[in-house]
Amino acid sequence: MIPHDILTLYSAKMIEYGIAILFLLLFIPFWKYVQGPSAAVVPAHARVRQPAATGADWFPIPLDRLFHRGHAWARPDADGLVTVGLDGFAAKLVGPLASVALPQIGAAVGQGERAWQLVADDGRAVEMLSPLDGTIAEINADLARSPGAAQLDPYGRGWLFRVRPQRLRANSTNLLSGAMARRWMDEVVAGLQRTLSPELGALAQDGGVPLADIARIIDPDNWDSVARTHLLTEDKEDANA
Amino acid sequence: MSSTAARALPSRTWVTDKIFLGLPFAEYLKSLATPGSFVAGLIMAVGIPVIVYRFAYGLGASTNLSQTNPWGIWIGFDMMAGVALAAGGYTIATSVYIFGLKEYHPIVRPAILTGFLGYLFAVLGLCADLGRPWNLPVPLFISWGGPSVMFEIAWCVVLYLTVLGLEFLPPLFEWLRWKKALVLATKATIGLTIVGVMLSTLHQSSLGGLFLMVPTKLHPLWYSPFIPAYFFISSIAAGLSMVIVESGLSHRAFKSRVDHHVNLDKLVVGLARGASIVLFAYFFLKLQGVVDGGRWALLATGYGCWYLVEVLGFVLLPSLVFAYAARHARATLIRWTAAWTVLGIIINRLNVSVIALNWNSPDRYIPNWMEVMLSLTLVTLGVSAFRWIVNRMPVLNEHELSGIRES
Repeated sequence: MIPHDILTLYSAKMIEYGIAILFLLLFIPFWKYVQGPSAAVVPAHARVRQPAATGADWFPIPLDRLFHRGHAWARPDADGLVTVGLDGFAAKLVGPLASVALPQIGAAVGQGERAWQLVADDGRAVEMLSPLDGTIAEINADLARSPGAAQLDPYGRGWLFRVRPQRLRANSTNLLSGAMARRWMDEVVAGLQRTLSPELGALAQDGGVPLADIARIIDPDNWDSVARTHLLTEDKEDANA
Repeated sequence: MSSTAARALPSRTWVTDKIFLGLPFAEYLKSLATPGSFVAGLIMAVGIPVIVYRFAYGLGASTNLSQTNPWGIWIGFDMMAGVALAAGGYTIATSVYIFGLKEYHPIVRPAILTGFLGYLFAVLGLCADLGRPWNLPVPLFISWGGPSVMFEIAWCVVLYLTVLGLEFLPPLFEWLRWKKALVLATKATIGLTIVGVMLSTLHQSSLGGLFLMVPTKLHPLWYSPFIPAYFFISSIAAGLSMVIVESGLSHRAFKSRVDHHVNLDKLVVGLARGASIVLFAYFFLKLQGVVDGGRWALLATGYGCWYLVEVLGFVLLPSLVFAYAARHARATLIRWTAAWTVLGIIINRLNVSVIALNWNSPDRYIPNWMEVMLSLTLVTLGVSAFRWIVNRMPVLNEHELSGIRES
């Protein structure tokens, strides 16, 4: 049988196998595209350490981050800059976001100083503290279009800005990581459970998951004061309230 | 007597509380006077007499069905598309209770309710299509007809409708404040979910399997030995899309009833990811079907163009748009794409059961106005039932009456 007859005989099967292989080849990048950039872009040093989420079931703690008690995280990157974001607790504390007011590129931020605002859909805003000293080198432009990304994926697509650090080693001594961060989050969760009403703790028979907008559950009228208390940005009036 | 003595509140009966939403009857009637109610009333004012006429004078007088075209839109749209779009019940319940994706728990109840009403009205549509609907119990209890695919469909649909009804008991018992019954109903949830997904796998694919026996009647582009797999896989995408559409519409229409602590946009993004992946795989399966049957040449015909519109425009394109919208968390775009996918599923089911069936017969079927009116009336009745239930029972906000669970 001459070669082209073989192809004619088996052409349909060849095409079918080809389509199956094409599907498998396309499926992997398609899956990665649908999941978002956090699955694809991983800094070199974090890739080696393969961080795993640990800590309280409600608010997992990635091991490659440094946490500030104001519920912001910092991640030193391979290029010398530090990526900053808000942690899972802060993401669930404030309700649906209308916008995130970020500092401008070139602005200076200080550890423990107010650096950005989360503006909720009712117009009220709460500020958060910067986890380190430095100069803003880059901000996440996607948040202007989709502020919800900061809540949907606070450790991935929802990063806020990148900082050129000034005193990273000194700042790190005031930040938590690993087991210390886990223990701190356990304490936060324990405090939350003491404060919250029972219906948040369980959803019928399936054990319960934390809902969004925790501050509004605790105090619907003064949720912003509650949020500032947890994020350590309360004013004297909030403290005395 | 003090002038500031409190007036006694008017006593509220169970009917006032539960049925009339706590309002006096006259006020309750006034609250029904909305544009939506007016349109629904108009449809039912025409549709219910049509239903009566159909059962009084038979199929010949009320439809364009014939010996050559025994299946019309009551099968294609009400039954086939209705069952596919009601698949949200088993997809969401399986995701939450079997796969452990608990973040989707807030949308389980509306999905189950949509599924239950979808199946119920699909069966009512089937009853309208049957020449002797009073014989419906025969294949179930008297003469099974085991070798027939229809036997398996009949049993699975009846059993799954029962399962959906049982899965909806927890919100019903919460509403009625029947605590002991509620505890029992809640304990049965996981077992019912497992049975439900098994039954759905069977009957969703079997509805496609019905067409395996008509290779000469169904157009070659739509006929394939893989039709059962096509129907099952597309039902998953249909269910996810229908849940996205229903949740968006419910949250707009029932703003006062929803749980405002739930971030619906986040859930919708997750559903869109799933729908995108399923549609992507489904597209390649359809492509395999064309290759396997050697149908390339038929794509250059009129029916071929329509097939390409269905597969490229209503399968591949929504898959890509879902992927883009999910990646960028664009909830509004997701909702429009979901509506577009729902339309695509309806088109697919109508293509297989009506448009591409008997494609080469000189006697083509076109539904008459009474058939369209009856289908529209059934959809309106389903939406009205959904609205009635959601306005009273803890469906959109499962914490509304959570005290009954914990007391």
